[in-house]
Amino acid sequence: MPSLTLLGQSVLSGVFIGALYGLLGLGLTLSWGLLRQINLAHFALVFLGAYLNYQLASAGLDPLLTLAVTAPAFFVFGVALHWLLARFSVSPLNTLLVTFGFMVMIESLIQWIWTADFRRMENHYGNVRWKVGELYVPLPELLTLIVAAALAYGVWALLRYTDLGKAMRAASEDAPVAAAFGINEKRLALLLSGACAAFAAVAGVCLALSHTLAPAQIYAWIGVVFAAVMIGGLGNPVGALVAGIVIGVSEALTMALIAPAWAPLVSFTLLIAYLLFRPHRLA
Amino acid sequence: MKPLALFAAVGAAFAVVPFLGLPAFYESFLYLVFHWIVLATSWNLLSGYSGYFSFGHAAFFGAGVYSTAVLAGKAGWPFLLTLPVAAAVPAALGVALGAIVFRLPALRGELFALITLALMFVFATIVLNTPLDGGPGVYMSAVEVPALAPTPSGSFYLLALILALGTVGIAYSVYRSRFGTGLFAIHDDEDVAEVMGVPTYRYKLAALALSCALAGLAGGIHGVFVSYVTVGETFSGWLALNVILMAALGGTRHWAGPAVGAAAVTVMTFYFTTSDYAIAGRALVGLIFIVVILFMPNGLLGRFAVRKPLAARSEATAAGTIAVQGKREEPILVVRGAKKAFKGVQALAGVDLEVRRGEILGLVGPNGSGKSTLINVVSGHYPIDGGSMVFEGRELAGQAPHRVARSGIARTYQIPRPFAHLSVLENVALPPMFGQVRMDRRAAQAEAWRWLAFTGLEKKALQFPKDLNLHERKFLELARALASRPKLLFLDEVLSGLTPSEIDGAVRTIRAIREQGATIVFVEHVMRAVMELTDRVVVLTNGRSIAQGAPREVMRDPQVIDAYLGSAHA
Amino acid sequence: MLEASSLRAGYGAAPAVWDASLEVGEGELVVVVGPNGAGKTTLINALAGLHRMESGSLRFAGRDISRLPAHLFCDVGIALVPEGRRLFTGMTVLENLELGAYRGAAKAHRAAALKRVLALFPMLDEKLGRPAGTLSGGQQQMLAIGRALMARPRLLLLDEPSLGLSPAIVVEMFRIIREVNRDGVAVLLVEQNVALALQLARRAYVLEEGRIVAEGEPGELASQPHIQRAYLGH
Repeated sequence: MPSLTLLGQSVLSGVFIGALYGLLGLGLTLSWGLLRQINLAHFALVFLGAYLNYQLASAGLDPLLTLAVTAPAFFVFGVALHWLLARFSVSPLNTLLVTFGFMVMIESLIQWIWTADFRRMENHYGNVRWKVGELYVPLPELLTLIVAAALAYGVWALLRYTDLGKAMRAASEDAPVAAAFGINEKRLALLLSGACAAFAAVAGVCLALSHTLAPAQIYAWIGVVFAAVMIGGLGNPVGALVAGIVIGVSEALTMALIAPAWAPLVSFTLLIAYLLFRPHRLA
Repeated sequence: MKPLALFAAVGAAFAVVPFLGLPAFYESFLYLVFHWIVLATSWNLLSGYSGYFSFGHAAFFGAGVYSTAVLAGKAGWPFLLTLPVAAAVPAALGVALGAIVFRLPALRGELFALITLALMFVFATIVLNTPLDGGPGVYMSAVEVPALAPTPSGSFYLLALILALGTVGIAYSVYRSRFGTGLFAIHDDEDVAEVMGVPTYRYKLAALALSCALAGLAGGIHGVFVSYVTVGETFSGWLALNVILMAALGGTRHWAGPAVGAAAVTVMTFYFTTSDYAIAGRALVGLIFIVVILFMPNGLLGRFAVRKPLAARSEATAAGTIAVQGKREEPILVVRGAKKAFKGVQALAGVDLEVRRGEILGLVGPNGSGKSTLINVVSGHYPIDGGSMVFEGRELAGQAPHRVARSGIARTYQIPRPFAHLSVLENVALPPMFGQVRMDRRAAQAEAWRWLAFTGLEKKALQFPKDLNLHERKFLELARALASRPKLLFLDEVLSGLTPSEIDGAVRTIRAIREQGATIVFVEHVMRAVMELTDRVVVLTNGRSIAQGAPREVMRDPQVIDAYLGSAHA
Repeated sequence: MLEASSLRAGYGAAPAVWDASLEVGEGELVVVVGPNGAGKTTLINALAGLHRMESGSLRFAGRDISRLPAHLFCDVGIALVPEGRRLFTGMTVLENLELGAYRGAAKAHRAAALKRVLALFPMLDEKLGRPAGTLSGGQQQMLAIGRALMARPRLLLLDEPSLGLSPAIVVEMFRIIREVNRDGVAVLLVEQNVALALQLARRAYVLEEGRIVAEGEPGELASQPHIQRAYLGH
């Protein structure tokens, strides 16, 4: 039976990784829930953001400032992607396929520029960690948690309380009627899609700060992030974060108490169990 | 040329290849093409035909790979003997998954896709951490390959060819069968298909089992072909998505679509991976995929995926009656204390009514009084919460909807719900195929022609529901309901939206239906029609029946007048 | 105030509406009746900006709005009560009403508009926090009308408001429409319930197979044999 400290550290690292799951899921849950687009390219975009971050950091730029470059660029990509999908009236299931095509293309681009070698960003943030009681709190992970929580709550509040958010929710339910009441639903949808891509850039920075990058890694995150998004409820940013943390902590505890090899099973078992017992909460 | 002859010819032509003395490269390349044809086509059997997109094909493929790997590679079984196991294990796993998941109506569409994706990771982890693989992978080089051809690569080629021909053959025969029609109906509107008599649960399980078994077989062969299997390579997300790509590229609605797509993609990727531009090649494949989905959402063969009618108009069955067994005036349906609630709203709060054989019973009531809900619970569209519904002496409550359809109950939908991708003729032919009599496709279509003539839709038989206007779609609903020659027919607001002259025509048609021997329950707001047509009327308010009797009396009942004209905000 | 000339809208070679001309004066209550499939919903959607016009012209308060994008129709003063209500069912009653006054100008008067709408439909007051999807059919129709009124429109377009409602509720709803009209809002109503519609309006159009085939006062129209046979069942 591992010590209390070890358990505590496990839970903490589970919270941190879960926050990253939630942050990765933010763009996905919004585009799936509000735009009916299942965006597989989101993952490739996150990694592209991470790689760009790594590249610019190697050139001397502060990792956090790279967002000033990547976020706007990705925003434009998000707008363009939605424009394309809307222009061809692509069905929700087919958006899965089209974005898969984009994922393949972006992944190929990454591999072509940076090769399949592992890349790790060296930066001053990475070496900072504090001790709180018996537990270690690394700065990059803490930053991720703060950013994830702030964004999740911020977006949730925006959707719930502001006129813009209500307009987005209305437009996602019935776009033509929303337009009849003055909501420029086309523009809102483009804005939202751009925002989701910008969130991918943010997630990319957090990913690069705390993880080693390789193109093949893209696929490893798909399953667990989808699980977090679905359990958290489509279109619910806070839900995705909470679900992500629950999955992260469960994985960490499984690793500590049972065996590391079984950790990947956790998220899917949770997902399958959730879907079997409370499926009506989705969609 | 007849399909069977064509298959045989193609098969023979390809079977000759290993004996031509060509370099092994060609056999291996074609092996890969056949391999992907099997994977894509088997995936399509469930996902393309029925619409249940699976992201977990790799899971079942992997189960097949490891069945053979463990039995032949570790336990020393002869290779060919492991193949039935490689088919059976994935099929069993698929059926186990389906048995649970298919029972839950909420788990469709994207949710089913993701649960199958999860399955792949679960299988991979289990295999990786148990003696099945344990980590180092399984070596199969010692496994003896049966000498079907001069060289081992030739033997694999032939095995794959046989499997590919078999798989495509199965896809073709399902496509043209009643089973296939049922799957396509499930794709368009599963709930309606079930209510029309399609045994949806059983069909989905069958399609899933078939799909898994074929993928497993491909896996069993492939494991020995590559001679060294690892979890990472076998249970790969790339495979899962590649299969979907191939089927979607070729066209999921056509039996040959996945095969065409598989061949195209294999050739393209092979060409690129062998060149110096492997990475660019992959990107190009991604781009091609995007372009195809955008411009040809139904795939390359999408346009050819329209099934020709099997019966011509001239073969329409002759007019005849819907047999009336039993005495007139005796009760055919007795409902007692029917209760149904939705999220806190009590739609039916204990309804009692009786439908007598051969009558036209009007079911009226204010909006929200439970009329449509009553039809939905009797036909099985929703399960009832409490009470009983006895039809011709048998209890309906708790029966699967397709059984209710088979006992002779049919209904129309207030807002027409035709099967969008089936022609008008095929729509009407569905109930005869799955209803009381269960005819084959040809006989059912002949029967359908008759009812299309009856409702005046003959000329539009080969068109699709989207080409019909509302009036025609309502009559399509009617024709479809009549085609199963029901003993009891529920008409749910068939007249709403029609002009008075159209209503007159509809009233005449409904009378003609009754003369053919059907008992009709007629839900309506158009009072004129209710007065003219019905023998008796039942009034529902707030989920309860408050009056029953002859139309004129009931509509003069003060309670009824109060319910209808009194409280303005029900 | 609203002038539509030779409107053509709909899909492909045989559009649903191919030659519709009508007008609604300030404060008028006009009704359009016609058989199903005549193009009534396409017509009203074109007038509300939901449906692109292929040709013809549309003028409102002297301004040409033929090419105006859908989301600007509300600014101009036209509000729509769509066929089948089409509320935002996942959102609350209050949110639905608020969205009726989403745009800048309407937003400023939102609180006042809300008070007036709730005065007109008191039963909505106690359901403000409930999701719109949980209301009964009649209540939903009232909410849909309320939502349209939030923007203080000058012209209210209603598409088959009586569809699926019981007679008692229809009577109440038409009373409210008459009251709204008396307050100065012009009303254009498309209806399948011809008898009731002709009672309500001061002027009526008959739309058949995509064209306006008759126009006049209800009494006049009702006495025409063609109308009587086709719509009033005599």
